[in-house]
Amino acid sequence: MTIITKVKAFLRKIAETVLVAFWRRATPVKTPQPEYSTDLADNLQMHMNLVMPLADQTAVGRAEAVQAVAANIDELFTGLSNVGTVHFARFDLVGGNLCMYSVFDGDFRAYIRDFISVFGSVFDALLGLVANPPPSPSALHPEEFIDWIHRHDAFQIPRDLTSLFPKERNIKNLPRDLILLLDANSNVQIGRFSGYPGVSVAQIRHETGLGW
Amino acid sequence: MEPLIDWADLQGNILRGYNKTYVRHLVLTVDTPAAAREWLGDAISGEDNRAPQITTAEPWGDDKPRTCVNIGITHAGLAALGVSAASLASFPHEFVLGMASRSKMLGDTGPSNPAGWKREWQNQDRVHLMISVHADDAADRAAIADRIIGASGAFRLLAALDGEGFPGDVVHFGYRDSISQPQFDGVHGPGNLPDDQPRVEIGAMLLGYDTPIEDLRWRVPSPQVLGLNGSFNAFRVLEQQVEEFEEFLTAGALALEENPLTVQLLPPGAEAQWDPPMTRHAALREMIAAKMLGRWRNGVPLERSPQSPSPNPPIGKKELNNYGYSHDPDGQRCPIGSHMRRSNPRDAKTVQRNTNHARRLIRRGIPYGPRYDPSHPIAAERGLLGSFMCASLTAQFEALQYDWTNLGLLDPRITGTNDPMLGNNDPLFSRFTFPVGEGKIAFKGFSSFVHTRGGAYLFQPSISAIGYLASLADGKAKQSPAGADHGN
Repeated sequence: MTIITKVKAFLRKIAETVLVAFWRRATPVKTPQPEYSTDLADNLQMHMNLVMPLADQTAVGRAEAVQAVAANIDELFTGLSNVGTVHFARFDLVGGNLCMYSVFDGDFRAYIRDFISVFGSVFDALLGLVANPPPSPSALHPEEFIDWIHRHDAFQIPRDLTSLFPKERNIKNLPRDLILLLDANSNVQIGRFSGYPGVSVAQIRHETGLGW
Repeated sequence: MEPLIDWADLQGNILRGYNKTYVRHLVLTVDTPAAAREWLGDAISGEDNRAPQITTAEPWGDDKPRTCVNIGITHAGLAALGVSAASLASFPHEFVLGMASRSKMLGDTGPSNPAGWKREWQNQDRVHLMISVHADDAADRAAIADRIIGASGAFRLLAALDGEGFPGDVVHFGYRDSISQPQFDGVHGPGNLPDDQPRVEIGAMLLGYDTPIEDLRWRVPSPQVLGLNGSFNAFRVLEQQVEEFEEFLTAGALALEENPLTVQLLPPGAEAQWDPPMTRHAALREMIAAKMLGRWRNGVPLERSPQSPSPNPPIGKKELNNYGYSHDPDGQRCPIGSHMRRSNPRDAKTVQRNTNHARRLIRRGIPYGPRYDPSHPIAAERGLLGSFMCASLTAQFEALQYDWTNLGLLDPRITGTNDPMLGNNDPLFSRFTFPVGEGKIAFKGFSSFVHTRGGAYLFQPSISAIGYLASLADGKAKQSPAGADHGN
């Protein structure tokens, strides 16, 4: 490593720690809320990327989480089917995090409410393994549960970055805005692709004769 | 088990329709908080000489009052009255944000965009209260409203919105209204037409009770005395484009006259048997109007009579609300995309399988503006002053508006279309289809017939809660009312 490279790496380290901390204090970033859209394609095939840090992230704790999901997988899948608006859902363990990724139609909060009503009790049991869980049972604390899920849902960066910062007048500040956004959000979804945009799961099931 | 409800603690307009001809909604901002709180205390004091009294849900018996008064308060209004920050934060997020902030979700775009709302709704932070006066005659309405506006230093009037019912409960579009309302557990509402839909848990309307979603209860805003027995109201000023609607019916009837499927829709000559008999063209206009709503304009449901508004034998008044859709899965009688069926799918199969009865609303509306006379059309603003009441704005009103009224998520055969009457329709994309036998009739290219011109999310507090608000000073209760829970 040349001396110049070393100096650059040092300066970058300084920037990462001192400058970001300064920016954070000077212009705290409030994570933007997703905008609703009247465009049909923007209201179907929504994504939820739920990243839930486990309370016990050792191999033992991780094994407990895998067992808990596996033991309830049939009930979870039946519940997801009964929600009616779910295209896909996956339960993964990534590092010390229990993750649920799903693609659904319609409003996020409506999805989570339906989620509570069809398998809230099973999910409540899983949340017993998660760090700082929401109040339980979810059916008696639906608003807190929905807010908690929202906070643990990876922030989704839209295709047009500038739409995230509508009040930013200086385009040169966009990198700083993005750094601060990522500073506030550990988990982000950078992009999503659909091979059949603008189509609901029920439409696919109806057209393919699967029954909806 | 039926829930125990303290009727004297409920505002009377929630579970019971007053059926008064005249309504004046006073849109108010708090002028002097102390004076406004004093007025609230006077309005539940039982002493009419101090202020017109808030009407409760206690049974009237034969002594129906000549006037009724009720109140709804916005989040900004609660703040203006001195509710603490902690308490304000305990209200649902959509109520905190307010109706205008939810415009994209509600489909309030284009001609319904809040930027074009009437002046009194433009600055939502100044809309604090709506006090509604219901009366049998206009003079009584004016007298009560004047007393409220004249309350010394309490309120500043932003607007007085007058509604006047038409004979026969007809609205501007010519339909008979006020037929279907939810029937609640433990509530035996007079005037509600019976149906065999499941009775709805009272927690769909009041905070603090079981809801239609199994085991689920909505959070009661704190303190308990403020939130319990409260309800929410999505109040909307809905301008109706009656002339455009009638023109659409005319153009649609002309198209149907050329469509080979029309003979199945309405056998030639059947219209001569209607009461009153109609020309073919006039009957086809009525058929389109019925398919769009789900009822004929005289109130007869398509499910009960798909080819005539005057079936023989006639359908009695008590039967107008007694039907389901399970025997009509494809919408041959009542289109799946019609206003009524997508607003309340009753026993029809829906994509969101546990929501059939979970989004019920109480609807109270009254026309405003001059009645439309097709023989002497007068260009004027006319519409509906609509109250859509529920315990959860987001789970009921917004969910209904977002993915059933618009989007049509409840059935794959209508997904991607909007309600033909109420939806946010753009001529470039609008589509309304219904099956006729093995074929399908489609209307395209129509615009929105209903434009939102204003509105607000209102909290309808209980009588105890009004007492609590009256007791506030500088953000705190002067004295904790009995049973008040400040810890929640």
